Amino acid sequence: MALFSRGGQTGRERRAMQDHLGELDDMRRSNLSDLGQMTVEMAAQGNFNRQRLSEQAAEVVKIDREADLIARGLEEGLTLQELEDLARGGDGSGSPAR
Amino acid sequence: MRKGALKKKQRQLEELHLDRREALGELVLGMYVQNNWDDDLLARGSAEVVEVETELNELIAGNEPQGPSATEKDFPVTGEHRLPTAGQDYPATGEYTAEHAVPVTGEHTTEQPLPQPGEHDYPATGEYTAEHSLPESAEHTAEHAVPAEPKLSRAEKKAAKKEQKERERQAKEAAEATAVEPGPETAEAKTVVAEPGQPDTSPPSTAAPTPSATAPTPSATAPTPSAPAPATPAAEPAKPSTPEGQATDRPDAKKPLEVPPPPAAPEPEPTDPLDVLEKQITDSEAKAKTALEAAKASRQADAQTELTAITREVESGRSELDESLKRAAAAIAAAEEKAVQAEARLTRETAAGREAAAEWVRGQAAEIEADAALAAEMSGEQEAKPSTGEPDPVLSARVTSLEAELAAEKAAKEEALTKAAARLQEIEQSAKLAEARVEAAEAAATEAQSKAQAAAAPAADGTGAGEAEAREAAVNWLRGQISALRQEIAKSDESGKQEGSS
Repeated sequence: MALFSRGGQTGRERRAMQDHLGELDDMRRSNLSDLGQMTVEMAAQGNFNRQRLSEQAAEVVKIDREADLIARGLEEGLTLQELEDLARGGDGSGSPAR
Repeated sequence: MRKGALKKKQRQLEELHLDRREALGELVLGMYVQNNWDDDLLARGSAEVVEVETELNELIAGNEPQGPSATEKDFPVTGEHRLPTAGQDYPATGEYTAEHAVPVTGEHTTEQPLPQPGEHDYPATGEYTAEHSLPESAEHTAEHAVPAEPKLSRAEKKAAKKEQKERERQAKEAAEATAVEPGPETAEAKTVVAEPGQPDTSPPSTAAPTPSATAPTPSATAPTPSAPAPATPAAEPAKPSTPEGQATDRPDAKKPLEVPPPPAAPEPEPTDPLDVLEKQITDSEAKAKTALEAAKASRQADAQTELTAITREVESGRSELDESLKRAAAAIAAAEEKAVQAEARLTRETAAGREAAAEWVRGQAAEIEADAALAAEMSGEQEAKPSTGEPDPVLSARVTSLEAELAAEKAAKEEALTKAAARLQEIEQSAKLAEARVEAAEAAATEAQSKAQAAAAPAADGTGAGEAEAREAAVNWLRGQISALRQEIAKSDESGKQEGSS
């Protein structure tokens, strides 16, 4: 499923994507940990505020989407510009990230 | 329990706490995605986190936990990972992540560094797939979960970084030494892994197959594989796969394959599992020691900060107390001054009233004496009158005028008496008001004194009582004077009537 040529992606872009993917993973773990802590606090109070939980979970979902996008960019060798187009829904198939 | 074991257990508990929190977060995320909330499940997951947190806090507080530890459910103390059986207890969330499980398919090549055996177990074949580590090509798709990194403390990170630098330096030296004979690019080129004389049984390094991005992300609730625990370490154990480690190991993988490590290498890597284990234990102890020192320094800094804060709080409290004491003393002084002023005013008014009453009484007495002298003179003239036989018209006129004058004087005296009575009432009223003011001032002073819990001098009571007695005596004296005056006026009135009738 090579929509774009792999050769368009430079090594610098690839490294940037890999670094960003690592940052996203750190962020995901951090957000998940915060979400778990928030749940524990709500359980201590005996009341689960689903709105707050949903807001925090939505953040994690955003991170997941962006990570999927970056992973796709790495897999298909997309340039940053192409990735940006893809993020804006240019492909029509992927879900927009962020 | 040994100190080292306690530290190790604490570290395990911290890792487990983080893992469970993340697992709980994953659970919430799954509920959010499916829009299917289960409060009971959330409460159970929270209870699991709280259980580990409680045990961790007790361990930090110095209390050795009683009974089976929560870590033994996921992480045995020996570092061996028990595969899930029916008898084992797992978190209520039911999540069993790939971090603690043996990979399902898993190929493992020497290109990918193995985590420490205390954390992960791998199949005996040594296969380790890219599912649990980033492939050498550094491709990371949605299907490949980024290997979970243990949360290291700052000290542990520093130690790991230092160790990593040392390894890089060794690798660089090896690369320089072997640069003369370039060989095929295989995974065995990693100097930290390659051992001369040890045959390479692993397949050649190839990039891991990259699954499609549309494939579902690996679920954390995936069934746990039941691969057997490794009997012997498949490859030489490496340090935990940190991002730095991966970044630095990858270039090493492209080094020539069949080049032995340089003779200048500090020490060869041990091949005996016991040696490997001993080296790992030594490294772990060094890390634990570093972390302990960092924790001690942090605790000392915290204690100093807390002590400084407490000292400042005490000083501010003391200054506030001093200020309140000063305000109370000023209030007492003001109340006492008011009382003294009220007493002085009462004394002045009493003295003035007494002086006025005495002046008036003296005037009245002089008039009464004059009236009495006049009456005596008139009676002497009347006694002398019958001897003449007929009344003298001049004398009669004189008597008539005197009688008129006497009546006018009586009227004036009565008016003066009325005024004096009114004046006396005013004086009494002012005396009462002054007394009320004194009492109010005394009450204020007493209240201020009671507030400051200091005994005030009871001088005001004695002075007030003396003044009241003096005032009462003056009033009694004035009343006596007025009644005496009235009696005298009545007497003179009767005598005047008698004279008039005679």
